[in-house]
Amino acid sequence: MARSLSLHVAVVGAGIVGAAAAHFLAAAGARVTLLDASGPAAGATGASDGAVSVASKKPGPMMDLARHARAFYGSCEADGLLRGLFHRRSTFLVARTPLEAELVAEHGADLAAAGERVLDVDRPTLLNRIPGLGDGVCFALEIPDDGHALGYEITQRLLQRSSVTVRRNAPVSEIVMRAGRAVGVAVRGEMLAADAVLVAAGIGSVGLLGLGDILIPRKGQMVVTDRAAAGRPAIDGHLMAASYLAAKRGIVRDNAHIGLVIDPLVTGQFLIGGSREDHRSDQTTDAVTISAILRDALDLYPPLRERRVLRTFAGVRTASRDGLPIIGPHPHLGGVTVATGFEGDGICLGPFMGACAARMILGEAPGVDLSLLAPQRFAAVEALA
Amino acid sequence: MNPCFYWIDRPVSFRPGETIAAALLRAGIADLGPEGGAVRGRVFCGIGACQACVVAVAGEGAVEACLTPARSGMRLAPPPSLGLRHE
Amino acid sequence: MSELAMTELPILVVGGGPAGVAAAVTLAEAGLRVLLIEQRDRLGGAIHRQPAPGAPQVWRGPARHRRNWTELTSRLERAAARIELRTSSVFLGIDGAGRFLFEDRRAGRVFARRVRAAIVAVGAVERIRPFEGWELPGVTSAGGAQVLLKETGRPPEGPIVVAGTGPLLLAVAAQLARAGNPPLAVLERGNPWRRPKTLAGLATAGPQLTEAAAYATTLAWKRVPYRTASEVLGVSEVGQGLAIRVRLGKIERLLQARHLLVHDGLEPNRAGIPLPAPGAEIPVLLAGDGREILGADAAILDGRRAAAAVLASLGQAAPVAPLEAALGKARAFQRDLAEALRSPSTLPTPETMICRCEGRRYADFTALPADASAREIRLMGRFGLGACQGRFCGPMLAELRGEALPSASPPRWPLRPVSLAALANFSMDQTET
Repeated sequence: MARSLSLHVAVVGAGIVGAAAAHFLAAAGARVTLLDASGPAAGATGASDGAVSVASKKPGPMMDLARHARAFYGSCEADGLLRGLFHRRSTFLVARTPLEAELVAEHGADLAAAGERVLDVDRPTLLNRIPGLGDGVCFALEIPDDGHALGYEITQRLLQRSSVTVRRNAPVSEIVMRAGRAVGVAVRGEMLAADAVLVAAGIGSVGLLGLGDILIPRKGQMVVTDRAAAGRPAIDGHLMAASYLAAKRGIVRDNAHIGLVIDPLVTGQFLIGGSREDHRSDQTTDAVTISAILRDALDLYPPLRERRVLRTFAGVRTASRDGLPIIGPHPHLGGVTVATGFEGDGICLGPFMGACAARMILGEAPGVDLSLLAPQRFAAVEALA
Repeated sequence: MNPCFYWIDRPVSFRPGETIAAALLRAGIADLGPEGGAVRGRVFCGIGACQACVVAVAGEGAVEACLTPARSGMRLAPPPSLGLRHE
Repeated sequence: MSELAMTELPILVVGGGPAGVAAAVTLAEAGLRVLLIEQRDRLGGAIHRQPAPGAPQVWRGPARHRRNWTELTSRLERAAARIELRTSSVFLGIDGAGRFLFEDRRAGRVFARRVRAAIVAVGAVERIRPFEGWELPGVTSAGGAQVLLKETGRPPEGPIVVAGTGPLLLAVAAQLARAGNPPLAVLERGNPWRRPKTLAGLATAGPQLTEAAAYATTLAWKRVPYRTASEVLGVSEVGQGLAIRVRLGKIERLLQARHLLVHDGLEPNRAGIPLPAPGAEIPVLLAGDGREILGADAAILDGRRAAAAVLASLGQAAPVAPLEAALGKARAFQRDLAEALRSPSTLPTPETMICRCEGRRYADFTALPADASAREIRLMGRFGLGACQGRFCGPMLAELRGEALPSASPPRWPLRPVSLAALANFSMDQTET
């Protein structure tokens, strides 16, 4: 603690991960400046669904991490930090063809093996839970312990309840190094001195750390509808189509592929996504993609025909080359920690990963084994090549 | 005899070619509900901009009453309102 | 017409009011193909909203407006071969692939069209200075009440108060009076009598002055008080009506009425419309009150000006100097009018609704960080996130934040809420493969 009291950390990127790291660093007594080229939640955090979902994760380390991360949401909800912002809700994994049913069953088995509760739902039960569900749904599983949180609300709360200095419109152009160690960051031609630097800038991390061949942008287009219910989620769970699982498990890689999710927001609106367009970092949406998402959504949940579309938007997920997040000390730059590459899992993993990054910067063990996610793994591959 | 549509359960007659808003106003219906809603519907701007007069058409989507020609037999109701969450 | 002309891409004109129709006929008369899009089932815009079939025509507007409109519509008929008119169709904006998108409300589908250039003439939205209770049923915008009066031929029943600022208050009050329900009072926030010089300048404007004098005569004849330096402070519901707390000069009073019509000027309806940089491959121009509030007479000139600019970009000479001179006069008139009616700005009370769509009050706005980004204002404040897409709260917030343009409404599509089923039903036209 003695060290953290005198420590000044510059956190680059005010998305959910950066905000969480900044919050927990400040809570431990560090002085923290959080810098963002725009403002809090300006990137993927503010342009994503709110699934705090284990059900959607690829089997292996991501599924395990997501279970820790979701439990962390639960404890932050209970201790008051995130009170009112995290809600338990079921995820329904749904299949519309026999092939999809096999995929959902396999994914369910993987979830059960990871310790997750997985419930079989027959069609009458399903229709009772989600009235109006499409005729094509032939198989479904319920994952009852998932949850929901809005990235921008979480980000705001984490910053409100901390002594972090937030600097908006503060693009960091360079990490200033001296004798192999970070001594600060350059912002608009000025240097901000810091003892440690955390880079959690999503796709902005590419320019700052030269990670162009490691991180790729993956654009996702989404739709928000008008209200289908007054001030409560319009349906009793998050609908996740097998097409989404297929993308997450790496079975399909195609920029035209729609990984369909229908996310009932607490406002009574629906958020419907989305596309997975590799190497696209613009935030535009197009009618061909949006209408394809909506046709698929109508097939899965026909009552959407009575809704209006209020907004379309795109978020840019930052994915790493091997599909795993990158979190840990930079292999060559002393005093620099990296936390990025969360792809579409940032809302779920964000608060927990931010807390882990904070502990690493403070020289403490993160509490879970994150060695598979260390930036070092890419350095090793480069050396071999 | 003029054709009519239904506002909730109440028949409202209209002149062919008239908008839903015009017919509702002629019938003296200014409060477009829902009852007890945090914000209630009403005809306001008359040109489709403010969205305050949006009504739900049973079996279809919601439409701006001020832009949409009334059709015989259509069943209209207030759309789901704001919840208490953002009060 | 040559085969080439038949197959060439059209110029898009959005909006069937005076500016849009003037632009469309100017282009068509110059030999170009035009796609004219109108959201309602017939042309006219707010100013020339026609009575529903069978409705009494209580008030037909100033004669010069009727003459202008008759002339435009007859030219439109003569040029009909080159104008494809799509009514009941809403312009949804331009998507990320550069497609111009429209919702055909009759067919229930969204379609895209390739165009050579676009003129967007979607008119104005009314500015509302918010007060407690402005969101209640019974409160209507004065312009909204006016188009409904034109359509139904009947004024609303029960006592009416008209309040806010601007010449429209006078016009609406006089029209209601002639239709048989003179308002209890017209409350004008400004105090023009204290700016006699500006007022004298306004007196040189011909037709507008004649029009205003006619309205004033009607109000005097029907004994409708027109109070300046007066405004609404707040409204609440009592029984079937409204209790309206007003300030008349320095005195506070309570008025009982059934309807309150409000209006605080006009704002170009440009929320979310993307405007490509000059020299773009497909130019997008604004015209009429949707570009700059200059009134119905100037809107026709401005539609011609926009059409001339499109023609010039296609290499066809089109003189605009006389149009610019006339628009300059209209601009000076509007400026003098605004100056004559200028009133001190006041901050709303914390409980005042700012964003009606999402139920957000002024206290919710002041709770945001002072340096909050436009995105934070939308996501955290939910301002500009609702169904009207910031068309009403945007100008309010811009004024409160001292900004020129509403930061709460960046370029976007859809420009208006669109049926999900219609958007799922999206199809490209034959010109796009």
